[in-house]
Amino acid sequence: MSASPAPSRVTPDPSPASAPSTDGRDVTRPVTFWRAARAVFDLSLEGMVWSRRSLLMVALLGGPALLSLAFRILLTRLPPRVGAFDFYGVVVAFYYVRNALPLAALFYATALIADEVEGRTITYLLTRPIQRVSVLAGKFAAYLVTTLALALPAVVITFFLLNTIRGWSGIGAIVPELFRDMGVMILTLVVYGAFFTLMGVLLRRPVIPGLLFLFVWELLANAPGYLPRFTITAYLRSLIHHRPPDEGLAEIFAQVLPTALCLEAVGAMIVVFLAGAAWIFSQREYVLDQ
Amino acid sequence: MTATMEFVRASRWYGPVIALNDVTTTVGPGVTGLLGPNGAGKSTFLKLAAGQLAPSQGEVRVLGKPAWGSPELFHRVGVCPEPDAFWEGLTGLQFLMALLRLTGFDDAECKRRADHALEQVALTEARDRKIGGYSKGMRQRIKMAQSLAHDPQVLLLDEPLSGMDPVNRRRVVDLVKKLGREGRTVLVSSHILHEVEAMTRRVLLIHNGRILAEGDVREIRDLMDEHPHTVALRARDPRALARAVVGSPHVLSLTFGAEGEWVTVQTARPDEFYSSVVDAAVEAGVSEMYSPDENLESVFKYLVAR
Repeated sequence: MSASPAPSRVTPDPSPASAPSTDGRDVTRPVTFWRAARAVFDLSLEGMVWSRRSLLMVALLGGPALLSLAFRILLTRLPPRVGAFDFYGVVVAFYYVRNALPLAALFYATALIADEVEGRTITYLLTRPIQRVSVLAGKFAAYLVTTLALALPAVVITFFLLNTIRGWSGIGAIVPELFRDMGVMILTLVVYGAFFTLMGVLLRRPVIPGLLFLFVWELLANAPGYLPRFTITAYLRSLIHHRPPDEGLAEIFAQVLPTALCLEAVGAMIVVFLAGAAWIFSQREYVLDQ
Repeated sequence: MTATMEFVRASRWYGPVIALNDVTTTVGPGVTGLLGPNGAGKSTFLKLAAGQLAPSQGEVRVLGKPAWGSPELFHRVGVCPEPDAFWEGLTGLQFLMALLRLTGFDDAECKRRADHALEQVALTEARDRKIGGYSKGMRQRIKMAQSLAHDPQVLLLDEPLSGMDPVNRRRVVDLVKKLGREGRTVLVSSHILHEVEAMTRRVLLIHNGRILAEGDVREIRDLMDEHPHTVALRARDPRALARAVVGSPHVLSLTFGAEGEWVTVQTARPDEFYSSVVDAAVEAGVSEMYSPDENLESVFKYLVAR
């Protein structure tokens, strides 16, 4: 038995890292981004779809479809005071884009990495020959597929239930609005998902700050001047064509921003948030049990 | 010596706490035990080697590359982490297949390797059961399987025998020895001298974040002789287990745990005790066995004082 030696350099075995793999893989490089992201996506998707979180989201995102059914039954018996298309506009603009989709993004996207850290399974992902950014990409894709699979069918059902109350005539003229709304919903999930992914890798407990962001900070969208431009919702709201009339302060100050500006701003936010999340995740140590 | 792993003046601290302090050492092919009491810095040492942590100071290199920030190393490095954590809804086979896909294999190769790894840890029959339903020993073994399924040259095993029953403990010890004989570099951490000794004679002794000594485990064994070794066993029939072992000349004392399932044995001859307890353990339904580290702690105190 000898005491620990003084600092010295020992010739490292040069063969392993540069040697070709016997199974044909290039072991000198990480697995390609797409292949790794796909593997992470496959691993994450099932767990995400069958999680308890998804049950809550089915209720949250599917709720309007049931409500529309009730509304449809009611409207056939009563003289219409609120038009069906107006009600559909309320569902899309106020319910989905302003509340339900951002909440879905908050609960899924903040958990993309946090769940693995809390469950202490992150070690398995970080001890594979893959770039960390592909872990984030695969998980983000799984989040998008899960939430879109819940939200888009619900809005399609809502659209047809509400807008065919008086028959199918004229439906063709408003179907483009449905596609536009679906586009805005996709953008909503992507941009809030990117933002909350960033919060998820940045903060240990991101849910409360996330709720404050959604329901306090985002109220700035109704403020005068340039303040709405510091929110996400102002851009998304402006992209919806048939929003119902605003009330209260929003009626006085609410601005409709130019479509091109909205698309550019949302696109830039997505890139910045995702790049920030990827950079932080790739630098960060996930020390377990310390 | 060709080193597959080298620490050069490596330190790691968490805020004001120094977990590893100016460590310089090398590890080569074969099995090396990383031995130290709880909190000695073993896990930090392994996490540095596994690229999970960056050294605060100094260098940690594996296969000639910096361990931190070189993901390609994991084609050649397998890690068996200490936490008992899994995606509980996956079956053993799905778990291995998913991790092999992340290592870049196609589906057919994943399946072949997963089957082989399951066979190596004797879990073939349980491959289609969900990990959530596995026993502690099975969970340890599936964790071991994922670390070696991609045929790595370097294996980092953090307390791989923790909580295993005697039969599977023997099986995993044999597997680790075989991997070492094949020329792989296997670094196994443990706070139990006997566990390490069963796998290798080469050890790194770590205490308070420093490598105290490195060399032949038998020299530590000589120091241990005057210290009784404590073993705790959880059995379906603790009284049958007690009856079977109490007459053994290797047993100094025996006590029953408060919950009625545990038996704690003190022995002066751990080797002989572990050999003699296997049959009795099977009959009495021993499901868990571990050794508290107090006795090792006293040896470390002795070494530090020397």
